[in-house]
Amino acid sequence: MDGITRRAFAEQFALAVAAPWFMEDMPQPRAQNPQAQQEPSPLAKALAETMRLRYPDRFSADDLTAITRSIDNRLRQIERLYQTALTNGDEPDFVYSVYRGAD
Amino acid sequence: MADDLAFASVVELGRLLRQKKTSATELATYFLERLERIGPRYNAVVTVTRERALAEAAQADREIRQGKWRGPLHGIPYGVKDLLATKDYPTSWGAAPYQQQKFAADASVVERLGAAGGVLVAKLAMVELAGGMGYNQPNASFTGPGKTPWNPAYWSGGSSSGPGAAVAAGLVPFAIGSETSGSILTPAAYCGVTGLRPTYGLVSRHGAMALAWTMDKLGPLGRSAEDCRIVLFVIAGKDAKDPSTVDRDLRTAAESPNKRYRIGIPKGADKDIQAEVAANFRQALKVLEDRVEVVEDVELPDLPYGAVAGMIIAAEGASAFDDLLKDGRLSQLTAPEDRTGGYPALAVSAPDYLRALRVRRPMQRALDDFLKKFDALAVPTRTTVASPLDKSFRDGWPGVTGGANVIGPTNVVGVPAVSVPNGFGVQNLPTGLSFTARAFDEGKLVTLARLYQSRTDWHTRRPPIA
Repeated sequence: MDGITRRAFAEQFALAVAAPWFMEDMPQPRAQNPQAQQEPSPLAKALAETMRLRYPDRFSADDLTAITRSIDNRLRQIERLYQTALTNGDEPDFVYSVYRGAD
Repeated sequence: MADDLAFASVVELGRLLRQKKTSATELATYFLERLERIGPRYNAVVTVTRERALAEAAQADREIRQGKWRGPLHGIPYGVKDLLATKDYPTSWGAAPYQQQKFAADASVVERLGAAGGVLVAKLAMVELAGGMGYNQPNASFTGPGKTPWNPAYWSGGSSSGPGAAVAAGLVPFAIGSETSGSILTPAAYCGVTGLRPTYGLVSRHGAMALAWTMDKLGPLGRSAEDCRIVLFVIAGKDAKDPSTVDRDLRTAAESPNKRYRIGIPKGADKDIQAEVAANFRQALKVLEDRVEVVEDVELPDLPYGAVAGMIIAAEGASAFDDLLKDGRLSQLTAPEDRTGGYPALAVSAPDYLRALRVRRPMQRALDDFLKKFDALAVPTRTTVASPLDKSFRDGWPGVTGGANVIGPTNVVGVPAVSVPNGFGVQNLPTGLSFTARAFDEGKLVTLARLYQSRTDWHTRRPPIA
């Protein structure tokens, strides 16, 4: 990879997929890396198919290609989420609070 | 009335009001005329709130005449990004499906500004749904692409495009924008104004369009860091209508006038970016050299910021706009890529979203431990000047492959940042300098920004408006 580590690429790629405005002026890993152009995974294709089944009259072939690609990108992000070690007791960063209205 | 008034600071306008050299009604009338005449050039305005502005200004004049002084924003006109609810006027969220949407009450931020005597003169343009559907080029709002007043062939930045352009063009003295990830800092840099992104939870989001509930922040864009500080003091604080809000004392302890600030420069911050942006960044540090101790090549903790942000924005955004996804009105959005951009998020699983929220907690601790080593991080706000209107962001400035991404990671954990203008680059477009600090260190950021602005005049420059 030219001038970029595999981990840095993964992070930049994740940021690019996260939201384009993160990356307006960041390196462009999709253009630099052939891995990014690879065929979407079977899982991505299957999940995209669920979109088509959910909304059968809504998408063109090009739309479905874009949706499949985006799902594929997101599936690759998920791998990074599971590389951070967590224990059973590590809770989400919000706190549910019980409600009791006026008596 | 002199054109100087258009570019006067909140502090200066307040002085004129207190000295009875102008009135709130005169100011409102003056800025309303500019909004109607100049606003369309930059696609900066959605709705001019003339009737409300004149009523609020008349009330301010009555109170000021009676000696009832509400504070530094009393009688001062302002605008808000059109994602803040206001009664009696539409709140479009920048999106065609919501052009006629109305709310019965003002957003909490608008209520607070009204209580401080502010005069709402306009609802300002924005990228549709604050960019939540993944726009990748400037034409992504039913009001057209936001244009920077410095050169209307270039973008104003987003998603607070109208607030950035309106402040820069002297259409409002200050405006309220929002940031989920870069939407205040980017237009501040591209439009040559000052933008302050507060800590998550410091400013109530009640009545603001939600994109990602756990990442959205509201904050001011203005002519100076001092103006932004004044506005922040008014809009910050606990709000029972937004459980995420907190009360914090924003006053900063008196510091030695010779205090040296420890500034971290992230590795690669000015490498392989536009040459003028890099030069302006280094020159800005030089301006402050007697007051800062620069630590070069610092590295943020190696954590999956992008993966966490992507998962949170996708899941929360898909839920926030589930009605649009379900009934297909996404197809009415302006940017073609936005019309399908929300659907992939429906493939996000609940355990994956929760995993992202769980990972964010150790991420917050790690980033706080990192930030506490410094008074602030400094980076060029963006690695290029504004993008050309006729190109995708990716193709706007080809060959720029460097920079350090601070905006993304620091938005994920919700810490504050300020961007100030620090010069000009390609096409005489403005560039920005950002400081980022620990949660609730807005006072420190404003102090640094004010110090810089006391030694430079970039924030007083005016775009060429006929």
